[in-house]
Amino acid sequence: MAVSIIAANLQAVAGLNTNILPSVEPPDNAYVPVRGQFDATVIIKKLAGLEDGAPFKLGIMAQDLCSPILSFVYGESQLGGKAALVSLHRLFDDDPELYYQRAAKISLHEVGHLLGLGHCWENFCIMHFSSNIAALDSLSISFCPACEYEINRRLSSIVADGGLVR
Amino acid sequence: MSLATQIMVVDDEEAICEALEAWFIKDGYRVEKAGSGFEALERMAQVYCDVYFVDIKMPGMDGLELLGKLREKQPDADVIMITAHGSIQTAVEAMKLGACDYLCKPFDPDQLSLLMERVLASKALREENQVLKEQLMEKRESLWDGFIAQSEAMHQVFSVIEDVAPTQTPVHITGETGVGKELIAEAIHMQSRHSEGPFIAINCGAMSETLLESELFGHERGAFTGAVKARRGRLEMANKGTLFLDEIGEISPKMQVSLLRVLEEKQFQRLGGSQPITSDFRLLSATHRDLPQLIRENQFRDDFFYRINVITLKVPPLRERLEDVPALADHFLDIYVQETGKRLEGFTQRALGMLMAYAWPGNVRELRNVIERAVVIARGKIIGAEELTFLDSASSDCRLGTLTLHEVEISHISAVLDTSNWNVSRAAKQLGIDRSTLNRKIKRFQIERA
Ligand SMILES: [Zn+2]
Ligand SMILES: [Zn+2]
Repeated sequence: MAVSIIAANLQAVAGLNTNILPSVEPPDNAYVPVRGQFDATVIIKKLAGLEDGAPFKLGIMAQDLCSPILSFVYGESQLGGKAALVSLHRLFDDDPELYYQRAAKISLHEVGHLLGLGHCWENFCIMHFSSNIAALDSLSISFCPACEYEINRRLSSIVADGGLVR
Repeated sequence: MSLATQIMVVDDEEAICEALEAWFIKDGYRVEKAGSGFEALERMAQVYCDVYFVDIKMPGMDGLELLGKLREKQPDADVIMITAHGSIQTAVEAMKLGACDYLCKPFDPDQLSLLMERVLASKALREENQVLKEQLMEKRESLWDGFIAQSEAMHQVFSVIEDVAPTQTPVHITGETGVGKELIAEAIHMQSRHSEGPFIAINCGAMSETLLESELFGHERGAFTGAVKARRGRLEMANKGTLFLDEIGEISPKMQVSLLRVLEEKQFQRLGGSQPITSDFRLLSATHRDLPQLIRENQFRDDFFYRINVITLKVPPLRERLEDVPALADHFLDIYVQETGKRLEGFTQRALGMLMAYAWPGNVRELRNVIERAVVIARGKIIGAEELTFLDSASSDCRLGTLTLHEVEISHISAVLDTSNWNVSRAAKQLGIDRSTLNRKIKRFQIERA
């Protein structure tokens, strides 16, 4: 469910054609036993190496993600690269609408990074960095005019055919 | 946020370097990486970096050693230590050696972004200070040592002091508790003809009448039980100098008569003695009480009052000269920074706004205590609103109606942002301005989330 909602949002908000691909297993060395989490940077490297024709890949995971420096991440991506990753683990809420909204926001944010966008200082913009869930909830599901312009500029130079890996 | 901020990440673990680099680049910083202390020193010679993130545990040259070298080569560099659980003691050590903060990995995203905000605010402040320094030096030179004041009200006080100090006239200093009446008395003494002589101060409110009497007049051996030795009194000690009677409103009418006689005859006797003692001193006095009112209530003798009150000097309370607060705060910050050895460079705009929005019922003394407390609890290089939260909660009824428009603006924007849980769109609507204007103001005034 979350995956199709994310795909719909990528299409509607970022204008990306999105395909949902069958799920793949994370690499064995991605799990960090002492932290009970998966290292997002390891999974992203694997994802980027998969050959399936899609220029951009966004992984969606139920398990909690971390990075070598951060105790957790909602998502991670290669700036201007090929692959990004989102975890639904910390986004859950009893209100399904809020939960899906969070998933869509993080996904759009990480895809924005894939397209080469950095963090934005407009407080409501989807590219604004959220360090906690309250900050994430205060974002709107849209890019500010400057970021939107930038997205369109990047997309026009890449014939985009977005792919999703589950 | 400045795109030009250059960060260097020094860690022997490549994954850590890369993860930090990725985070910083997305946030708009430029990043250099170094896999060892030696490499870091090499790179810093080629690329000027503002901020260094240094892992404490590295083979070869460890983080502490690199910290020392960095501080030596680039004293204004901000160095943040990265540590693992269990080596926090070393991190604390590093702070003593001049690191401005530390991160214990893995850290929360919140910690990293707050840390960067702090570092950048302190950097901006430093640059601003550089510009303001010369102007400030000029201003400060015109003040006396130990006196920090830029307000018109205090400059009037100073000019009265300059006029009366060289005379022998008794001066009576009034003002609320904590405004610094003793400092004023000392300043008069320092500028008087007796500045080479002693400055003898006594707080009349702090002791019983009999003790005060023996303190002032001294006593001969055996004058009373416990007087095992003869002792000089303060009146005697003040000879050829200045006698400062603080809280003079507290002394009894009987003591007022004795003192009045001393002032008229310049002569007195020790308790239990018969030998007349001559002492030539200038009398200064001070009180926070309303002496004319005490006279009407027959608590204070009017003849004594006219004797001590030839010239009255009123020291205005701090709330009537809030423009002195920043300079005073800086001054006390310097004092406590020296005392504690912490590296603190100033206050955020928001913190200054809070200091200036407070009514200071305890005046300069209270401000001094507040700064001392903030210095003790401060982490990082700059005192922010977090370090002054106790002021906010303790003082909501001390907040003032005498703020400048600018201060009111900052304080109102912060309040609206806080109630809207930092939803900028909502806050902007409530403030009746558009979002981008509000964002600009947040940046310009460095308004921080409470
Ligand atoms: Zn991001
Ligand atoms: Zn934006």
